[in-house]
Amino acid sequence: MVFNIKSINSELILLIIMGELNVAVIIKLEPDFSEGNVSYNPDGTLNRVETKNTLGPHSAIAAHAAFYAKVMYDAKVSIGTMGPPMADLALQQAQQISDAEELHLYSDRLFAGADTLGTAEVLKTGIEKMQGKMDIVFSGHRASDGETGQTGPQTGWKLGFTFLGNVISYNVDLKTRMIRAKRLISLQGVPDVIEEVEAPLPVFISIDPTYKSSFDTVSQRLSFQKYQKEATGRAENYKEYFKVFDAQQLGVDKTLVGLPGSPTIVYKVEKVPKSTATRQAEIVDGSNHEQIKKVVARMKEALSAMVIK
Amino acid sequence: MEKYDVAIIGGGSAGLAALKQLSNLGKQAILLEAGTKIGAKNISGGILYSKKPNNGRVINVEEIYENFLNDAPFERKITKYILHSTSKDKVYSMDLTAAHDYQSNFGCTVLLNKLNSWFAKQAVESSQKLGGGIIPGVHVHSITWNEQKGTSIIQTDELEEFEVKAIIAADGVNSEVADMVGARPKFTPTQLYQGVKVIIKLPEDEINKRFGIGVDEGAAHLFAGDVTLNHIGGGFLYTNRETLSVGAVYHFDSLLSNPTEPYNLIDALLKNPMVSEFIKDQVPVKGEINKGLPQEEQLRIRFAVAKLIKNWNEIRGAYLSSSGRERLINSGKYKTVEDIQTALLSTQDQMSKTYGVTFGTDYVEMEYGAKLVPDGKRCRMKKPFFKNILFIGDAAGRGVFVGPRIEGLNVGIDDGVRAANAIARALDKDDFSEKYLGEYYSQLVEESPYTIDMKQIDKDYLKIFLDAAKDVPRDIIGSRYGPILKMMSSGTLRGIAIKFANILGYERLLPIIESEDTYVKVPMRLAERLGTSVSSSYSPSIPSIADRIAKLNYNDDHKSHIKVLNSNSEFMKEMVTLCPAKCYSEEGEKVVIQHEGCLDCGTCSQETEWRHPRGEKGIHYQYG
Ligand SMILES: Cc1cc2nc3c(=O)[nH]c(=O)nc-3n(C[C@H](O)[C@H](O)[C@H](O)COP(=O)(O)OP(=O)(O)OC[C@H]3O[C@@H](n4cnc5c(N)ncnc54)[C@H](O)[C@@H]3O)c2cc1C
Ligand code: SF4
Repeated sequence: MVFNIKSINSELILLIIMGELNVAVIIKLEPDFSEGNVSYNPDGTLNRVETKNTLGPHSAIAAHAAFYAKVMYDAKVSIGTMGPPMADLALQQAQQISDAEELHLYSDRLFAGADTLGTAEVLKTGIEKMQGKMDIVFSGHRASDGETGQTGPQTGWKLGFTFLGNVISYNVDLKTRMIRAKRLISLQGVPDVIEEVEAPLPVFISIDPTYKSSFDTVSQRLSFQKYQKEATGRAENYKEYFKVFDAQQLGVDKTLVGLPGSPTIVYKVEKVPKSTATRQAEIVDGSNHEQIKKVVARMKEALSAMVIK
Repeated sequence: MEKYDVAIIGGGSAGLAALKQLSNLGKQAILLEAGTKIGAKNISGGILYSKKPNNGRVINVEEIYENFLNDAPFERKITKYILHSTSKDKVYSMDLTAAHDYQSNFGCTVLLNKLNSWFAKQAVESSQKLGGGIIPGVHVHSITWNEQKGTSIIQTDELEEFEVKAIIAADGVNSEVADMVGARPKFTPTQLYQGVKVIIKLPEDEINKRFGIGVDEGAAHLFAGDVTLNHIGGGFLYTNRETLSVGAVYHFDSLLSNPTEPYNLIDALLKNPMVSEFIKDQVPVKGEINKGLPQEEQLRIRFAVAKLIKNWNEIRGAYLSSSGRERLINSGKYKTVEDIQTALLSTQDQMSKTYGVTFGTDYVEMEYGAKLVPDGKRCRMKKPFFKNILFIGDAAGRGVFVGPRIEGLNVGIDDGVRAANAIARALDKDDFSEKYLGEYYSQLVEESPYTIDMKQIDKDYLKIFLDAAKDVPRDIIGSRYGPILKMMSSGTLRGIAIKFANILGYERLLPIIESEDTYVKVPMRLAERLGTSVSSSYSPSIPSIADRIAKLNYNDDHKSHIKVLNSNSEFMKEMVTLCPAKCYSEEGEKVVIQHEGCLDCGTCSQETEWRHPRGEKGIHYQYG
């Protein structure tokens, strides 16, 4: 048989050589208080039942970050959420953004009353049930309805992944299976310091609210358009990609989820990401601006003790 | 550097047709569009025609998009075409449906936001298979050449530069491509018209009733006379499915010599009693909220009323439209049409009984917009190419503009196909020289019957107008036209006269044809002498220009895309009046711009460093 090299596009060859990338996003359904979506009863009082729910804004940003991997590395995207049956709506919305091929809803009365740690256990178990071994898991910065931002770090910790918080951009080297990410941190009281870190996959990324994907070449934009269209098609038929798991199907340890699995210990937000993030992170560079250079120097100094090279 | 075969700059209906044709021919092309989304930057009147010229052949919309007639979201096929001469409350109407039908298969009203995105959907799939596609949100700012390879390098505000073998410039009347490579000078006021348009909401059933048309029919009403406020040009009102397009198109020269705010020209039209009656609708009027109530209660009432009005509008719009009723019943929300009616009445009841909402008569304006229109007779590029760049549609100054006839959409589509054919041929031979590509395209365009229409008076088209005016007393027509009319009414003499006129040249005849007499004085006399009195039952509350602009969608750019070059020139001073978005004001002796409300219309481009906003920035039309 004559092997027609022309018929296989170069990206595909690269993929075969370097292996694929699997990414997951964990998201959350939240009430939508934006104008026009709040519903009123005929007598003019607030209708709580009909007030729409929507994909949380931070979850949406995480979905955008996953879509970046889809466009740049042809990643396979999966999405998981824990919530009531109607949370399928949030999954659909996130699929529309990220072109996901797999949508998981973890829904069981047993999960009710869970705090962030209980939720993290469910999500971790769910992620492990997704097709393919995950390379990156994305979560939003925090939910806008009062959650404190711990679910992400805790899920990452339970998965045993390197945790990278406040990520504003990233790139993956498929050959070396390393990720390079920029994080927005505040360092010794100096806000908005950009730290560039490198870590081997797999990683858990909590996306900074200021994250914005940028696609700078014609070919990237063409893929973007192609996958965006594919996403619309998939989201229209999202049920085909959708699976619900109850506690039993998920096979979670019942003592670790819902109320029993929720110790309700108050964590300090900063401590969780920092202790995990620095385990394997290597500081590479700051930003080019002179001003920031100085800050970076200080940053290096401050962090040097924690860096494992 | 990334390499592609062809780049199309601009995703209006012309550029999209080029992409579709190139894809049909199996050629790779990428289309770059500055707007966030295809259609967001495009605005037209507009009637899209499919033509069948007696001599020569054009490529029509339904040939390039085979499923156009079944699938495309066009509005209504025009079946009535009427010219009204106005003077105060008097209107004299002439049926010119024959002029509309002249050499045409059909003409349908369109809203470009919807239509162009449908075109894009048709073009993109096959184009992607060839490694091309559409990239919105990208603004091209310069083109250079690799002289050795004969290729072009395109630079944008958003992406890394890339290389192509040939370019189609479809970037509209204010073509930056033409400007940046020096392919032609900017169009001058003599060569341009300024178009301003508003979209008015009206339920489908009301439109059918009011204009005496069926579900699949449409009406076009044209206006001349005092509504022009003494300018050369006129007004139009076209029926869409659930909206009306009302616009004013005036010769730029005539606006410069008698400066009038463009929105006042629209308003003059809206205030004409006939137009007022055409656009009127039932509107809810909010009751006063008792200021004595606790703040919280006042707020609750305000929200509740807003929500109820929104509901009422939705149910009413659907109830008064064939597809709306069907949609509501299919959705299972209502079982019968009566159920929908009951829901509407009960909402109405609740509005008035609980919240003191009353119902009055007014009109509902949805969107204001403006753009220049090139008059192909005066500004078409005789050789619409430069090196390996082919110009099409408005960018090439190509549009048929004769009397009430404005045809840019169909011309651009036809041009797009011709340019695509020329490029496909050049790709096959790998020859993008001016001789092999440009000259060949130029020849294809020259053969287009549309080009003939831009060069010559068509005696048969003219005859339709003469026939319509044959019973008009000669003294109304005036001494200037009397003898001409007399001569023209005989078939043989008309033939000779037109031949003679065409030898003289269109350009020399234009001042006679396109004059204040034609657009203002004769129509006014006609209305006064022969017209009937029309009265309106209300006076429309017309929004201020500030309200109109506030209602539009913009993605603000902090830095201005337009730079004033000479802040105290006469031209710039006129811009204070003639900018349809009121972006210019005078500070002392100087004219300054506030770019935020800019509609990208191009009116000020003559004496400014004029650019479109960067990708995704600026105006974003909802209707277009
Ligand atoms: C009020 C009014 C009434 C009209 N009535 C009719 C009618 O009834 N019938 C009819 O056939 N025609 C009518 N026309 C004319 C018709 O609308 C135009 O001829 C037609 O829309 C032009 O299409 P186009 O594709 O050539 O240009 P456009 O639609 O102007 O498209 C140009 C595109 O290029 C993009 N662009 C520009 N510069 C750049 C850049 N540097 N980089 C990337 N993208 C860029 C723009 O964003 C835009 O989308 C009317 C026009 C007006 C204003
Ligand atoms: S600033 Fe110029 S281009 Fe913008 S709306 Fe005014 S006249 Fe038109």
